[in-house]
Amino acid sequence: MKLKSCRHENELRELMARGQWPDACPPELRAHVSGCRTCGDLVLISEAFQHARVESLAAARPVPPAVLLWRAQLRRRNAAVERIGRPLLGAQIFACAVALFAAVGFAGFEARSGVAWLTWSYWQDWFAQLPQAAVAQWDSLSSGSLAGSAWSWMVLVPALATLVLLGGVAVYFATDKQ
Amino acid sequence: MAPTEKRARMSWEFALPDALLHTSPGGAQDAAAGACDPAMENEAFAAFYSRSSRPLWAYLARSSADPALADDLMQESYVRFLCAAGAPALATDGEAAARLYLFRIATNLLRDYWRRPRAASIEEIPEEFFAVRGQAAQTDAQILLEPAMRQMKPRERQMLWLAHAEGYSHREIAKVMGLNAASVRLLLFRARRKIAALLRAHSADDGRKS
Repeated sequence: MKLKSCRHENELRELMARGQWPDACPPELRAHVSGCRTCGDLVLISEAFQHARVESLAAARPVPPAVLLWRAQLRRRNAAVERIGRPLLGAQIFACAVALFAAVGFAGFEARSGVAWLTWSYWQDWFAQLPQAAVAQWDSLSSGSLAGSAWSWMVLVPALATLVLLGGVAVYFATDKQ
Repeated sequence: MAPTEKRARMSWEFALPDALLHTSPGGAQDAAAGACDPAMENEAFAAFYSRSSRPLWAYLARSSADPALADDLMQESYVRFLCAAGAPALATDGEAAARLYLFRIATNLLRDYWRRPRAASIEEIPEEFFAVRGQAAQTDAQILLEPAMRQMKPRERQMLWLAHAEGYSHREIAKVMGLNAASVRLLLFRARRKIAALLRAHSADDGRKS
């Protein structure tokens, strides 16, 4: 379709915008519009749309602006809370993974001594020996003999993970403050 | 100026802790907040809303042919406008820019609505759809324009409304609809030809009936 515009189109548009069509416009222009398809279409469509606009403006029932301000407040607050909660969720997932890793490691280590660890008496003994074992582990840690002791890793890995976690939280709050 | 710097803090946001308000690591909102009177900001929005809500509703209602949908989308448009970090500020960018931005949000919402696959149940259809309206109660614009608008494509309806009801230029329509101005000129020309023919045909039919 070829674009055909009329040189009177802009003039006609301005007259209609000012409300001067058809009464306050030159008779030559009126005569032109009756013979020009482009200008005739423009007048027909603009009048129909302007009437429809007046009717629609009267039909609109807008809610009070305070309702929209309140809804926007809720949405922004929820978005902000979600944004802040995202690193915390990451930290929780990380903590769960570390706990799971420690539990699996512990179970693996204990499984080496057979199925005895599934009995109640085994755990009674285990808890009774725990204070001495902790002192022994501390001694082994401080003496540097880590490689031979799986227990050391059981203590070291969660401790390092906790440090990393706390460091991440500290960095997050520091950058957030900036 | 960065988009986040354009938006001033609203009054309700002063009740929030600063950590909840940062939109960027630079916290640009804090700089803007110092120069903003919240009551005035709310008043400015209320004034803008009172001037723009009816035209926006008319645009949505005529483009979608569904007044209930227009109500929903209008509210959603304003909420998104208030929440958008890059929205033009009324005080600095002016109302015309804010209005264009608002119409653009509404246009995108309409487009999303049309794209969404759905099956409407009979309970969801507003009762006005079933109401038999007498020909006498309908105005000339309804009698002539509504049947013609129903035969137009959604994009054509939007363009025609923006051009002939809102009086937007090709460039402004292009901004609202996310097209380039040359495309708008061509598409609008075709849409105008099409609706003019439909309007003439409808008025000729009405003339024969009466």
